[in-house]
Amino acid sequence: MSSQLALEPIPASLLPPAGNMLRIGAPGRAPEPTYYGLPMLKKPLWSWEIALYFFGEGISSGCFVLATAAEFFGGKDYARFIRVARFVSFATMIPCPPLLIADLGRPERFLHMLRVFKPSSPMNLGAWALTGFGVPVTILALAHAPGLVPRPFRLLLRRAPAKWLVLLGLGPAFIMMSYPGVLLATTSTPIWTRTRALGALLASSSMVTSAAALALASAIHPFMDDFAREAMRKIETAAHICETGALAAYLLETGRAADPIVRGSQARNFWYGAVGCGLVLPWLIHRAKGKKPRRAATIVSALLTLAGGLALKWSIVHAGHESALDGDANRRATAASPRNPGWRPSLS
Amino acid sequence: MNPEIIDVWKRPPAPEPREEMGFFTDTTLCIGCKACEVACKQWNQLPADGFRWTGMSYDNTVALNSVTWRHVAFVEQFDRDGQPSRWLMMSDVCKHCVEAPCLEACPTGSLIYNEFGSVYVQQDVCNGCAYCVAACPFGVLDRNSEDGRAHKCTLCYDRQKDGMTPACAKSCPTESIQFGPVRELRERARERVRELHARGETDAYLYGDEASGEYSALNAFFLLKDHPNVYNLPEAPHRPAAQMKKNYLASFAVSIAMAAVSALCFARGKA
Repeated sequence: MSSQLALEPIPASLLPPAGNMLRIGAPGRAPEPTYYGLPMLKKPLWSWEIALYFFGEGISSGCFVLATAAEFFGGKDYARFIRVARFVSFATMIPCPPLLIADLGRPERFLHMLRVFKPSSPMNLGAWALTGFGVPVTILALAHAPGLVPRPFRLLLRRAPAKWLVLLGLGPAFIMMSYPGVLLATTSTPIWTRTRALGALLASSSMVTSAAALALASAIHPFMDDFAREAMRKIETAAHICETGALAAYLLETGRAADPIVRGSQARNFWYGAVGCGLVLPWLIHRAKGKKPRRAATIVSALLTLAGGLALKWSIVHAGHESALDGDANRRATAASPRNPGWRPSLS
Repeated sequence: MNPEIIDVWKRPPAPEPREEMGFFTDTTLCIGCKACEVACKQWNQLPADGFRWTGMSYDNTVALNSVTWRHVAFVEQFDRDGQPSRWLMMSDVCKHCVEAPCLEACPTGSLIYNEFGSVYVQQDVCNGCAYCVAACPFGVLDRNSEDGRAHKCTLCYDRQKDGMTPACAKSCPTESIQFGPVRELRERARERVRELHARGETDAYLYGDEASGEYSALNAFFLLKDHPNVYNLPEAPHRPAAQMKKNYLASFAVSIAMAAVSALCFARGKA
C-alpha cells in the first residue's frame, strides 16, 4: 500500500530565503529562537470548495430557519413567503454535498463521514447535520411543487407530515448555521483558533446572506407583501448588527493573528468585500432609500450583501493558508502563559 | 451461506489493551546521522525526499510530512563573536499525544489509539478530509497529494505487533531514540535530566513528559537543551478543542437569538 505513495516535493513556501542562516548566526546578535524561520504548521488544505460550501449551507439553513419562524409565528399570511424560502433553502442545499465530496482526498469514501457519530469532531457533527437537514428540506420543497415529482410519489408527498418534517429539520438547521466557525476554530491555525467569536461571526453572516437572498428573490419575483418585506428588513438589520458585533469581537480577540485578513493576502477580499460590500454599502443604501424602497435599490443592496457574505467566508477560509505558514504568528500564538505554561528550560 | 461471508459483517474483538509504548528522544545523544530517517523510510516503504539542498543547513529534509515520519533537525549556534559554539540535533517525530487533537478532530474515526496507546491512522478508513492536518499543533500530519490520505508515524505498529522495536529506535547508533513502556521511559528521562544537571548541563529539560496547562503529555517526548522554538516546536501548544464549547455556545446563542427576533418580526407584521 505504501508503495503507492509518491514523492512529495518541498513546497517553495516552506523553504526560507537563502542567507537565513547568516541571520541566525550574525555576530553580535543573540540567536533568535526560531528554526531557520520555517513554519511550524502545515497549510490547511481547504480552499474554494469549503468557502463556497460555507456560503451555500449558510443561506440554506438560514432560509429554513426563517421559513420555519414565519410558518409558526406568522401564520397563513406568509404562505407565499414560506414557499419561496423553502425553495431557496432547497436550491442552495443542492450544491453542498458535491462541494464537500470534491474537497476530500478520497472522494469515493465520503460516506465514511457517517461511519461513526462523533460530536467531538465538528466536521462529523456537520456531516450528520447536513444529512439530517437534506432529507426534510428536499421533501418540503418538493411538497410545494408536486409537478416536479413522478406521479406515483405524489400521493406520498401529499401525505408528508409537513409540521413534523419542519421540526425534524430545525435542529440540524441550527447546527448547520452554527458549526462552520466552530470547525475552523477547533484547529491550530492562529487566525482561526484564538477566538470564541468565529462561530457567532459565520452564523450571523449566514443569517444576513439568507435574508439578502430572500430579498433578492422577492425583488425579482415579487412574492412578498409589504408587511413581509417590512419584517424581512428588520430581520436583516438585526442580523447585520449581530454580524458587526461578532466581527468586532473576533478581530479584538484574534489580535495580530488576524493579520492575513487585516493587512495580508486576504486584506482586499476582507475590507472591500466583507466590510465594504457586505456591511457599509448595504447600510448606506438602507439609510438613503427611506420608507418606500425602490426595486433597483433592493436588488443592488441584496447583491452587495451576498457578495460581502461570500467574501467574508472566502477570506477567512483562505487566510488560514497564510496564517499557518507564518511561523512568527504561530510562535506568538503558542507562547507560554500562566494558564498554559508549556514546556520550557527551567532556570533553576 | 458461506460462513466466511457472514464473518465479514461480524466485528472482530478489539485487541487487548497493552502497556503504553512510546519514544524518548534524548537530543543530547543525537549525532545527526539520519539513520532513523533512512530506517523509517525503508521499513515503511516510503519514497525518498529527493536530492535537494536547502542551502541553509545540513537539514535537507526540512519538516515532517506524509512520506517523512522522522526528521532530524540541525541547529548550528554561534556565540556573540560569530564563532560556532555548539550543534543541537533532534530527531523529530509524531508526538503521539495522550489526548491527540488530530484524533479529536477526525470525523471518520480513522484516527484511533491502538492497543499500545499510539495515535494511528487507519488507512482503509481515512477519506482525506484534512481536518487532522489543520488540527495538529506540531504540523506533523499531512495529506499525500497522490494518494489523498493523511499519513504519519505509526510508531511501527506492525513491528510492535510482533514484539519488535520500531525501525528508527532500532537503527539509532547512540540510543538517542529510546523505545519502551512510557512509564519506564519517563522515569529514565527524569533520571537523565538530574544526571545532566549534576554535570553542569543545567539547560537540559524534558519536553512533553507530563501534561502542561491545557495540553496533555506526549508519548513521544524529548530531552531538549534550548527553547522549543529553536527546534521548531511550539513552546506551549494549545488544545484546539479547549475553546470549542464556548464557541458553540456563542454560535448557538446568536443563531437562536436571530431566529427569535425573526419570529417576533413575523408575528408583529401579520396583516
